Amino acid sequence: MWIYEKRLQYPVRVDTTNPTLAAMIIEQFGGADGELSAGIRYLTQRWTMPTNQAKALLTDIGTEELAHWEIIGTLVWKLVKDATIDQIKGTPFEAHFVNHGKSPFPHNAAGDAWSAKFINSKGDPIADLHEDMAAEQKARATYEWLIKISDDPGVTDTLRFLREREIVHFQRFGEALMIVQEELNRKKYY
Amino acid sequence: MDREQMALLKEIMEVGFLLVEINLYLDTHPEDEKALRLHNTYSQRYDELTSLYEARYGLLTFTGKSGCPWSYINGPWPWEVNFDI
Amino acid sequence: MNGGYYDRGRQKQLARVYIPFQIMNQVYSPSEALMRGTLFPELFMPYKKRDLEEGRYYG
Repeated sequence: MWIYEKRLQYPVRVDTTNPTLAAMIIEQFGGADGELSAGIRYLTQRWTMPTNQAKALLTDIGTEELAHWEIIGTLVWKLVKDATIDQIKGTPFEAHFVNHGKSPFPHNAAGDAWSAKFINSKGDPIADLHEDMAAEQKARATYEWLIKISDDPGVTDTLRFLREREIVHFQRFGEALMIVQEELNRKKYY
Repeated sequence: MDREQMALLKEIMEVGFLLVEINLYLDTHPEDEKALRLHNTYSQRYDELTSLYEARYGLLTFTGKSGCPWSYINGPWPWEVNFDI
Repeated sequence: MNGGYYDRGRQKQLARVYIPFQIMNQVYSPSEALMRGTLFPELFMPYKKRDLEEGRYYG
């Protein structure tokens, strides 16, 4: 089960009001390679993982991704909370605003809603762990594109933190894959 | 949020983050004794810091003890905290 | 220790990946770790400003 800790994982600073940037950051709130996808993907896959190490890792990284989803929602919120209607009009955020007001909503930067179609759980631990490693690389790459277009230093700082987390997660999933492959080979030959 | 509360919250975030990192490492290295010692040291520290914070500023998790009124609902909520200081 | 394929000195098999295990050595202080996004210096791989300016891909 899940316990909520009433704090962010990282001290999120936003230095500007920028609805356009918010509309781009929302890619990681509801996009295919975003934090919600990551969290739901890993938490969904854990039922069919062999080895306690893999079950623990998918649980714990999945949980951390939900904490990151919270950080992204906070970035979006802080970028628009003080925006006037004139600051919103004519930006990509205007389309979001007419549906959701200033409330963060899980869709991607192009406006496509989050879907379970973004994730997979094959019930095959080798396939699943490779998907997880790919997911971490795609998230890392997305953060790099976002860092390129961000002109808010506070936002960029938080994006750099989240990008580094993807690199660490990739290493852990790789280690879990080694452990699982060893376990499955052992069962095959002994 | 005053300076003292912010300082304590930041320390909780720092120690909490260390625990997350060690947790993920231990999940794939469950027999690493050095990592386990580091975890246990900071686990203790985390309990001390959160107990202190909760006694002064209200609950961080719903399982703690509260005075009246129920402190868990107190602001600021995490997305409202201004870290600009 | 995990990664028994190293211990047995077997040849690498085809059609599978191999990832080296990290072995914890030095760690950052808690405040340094939070700022960088990892506790471990060997996993700290920042997106360099040079890459930002010249449009170079990471890795």
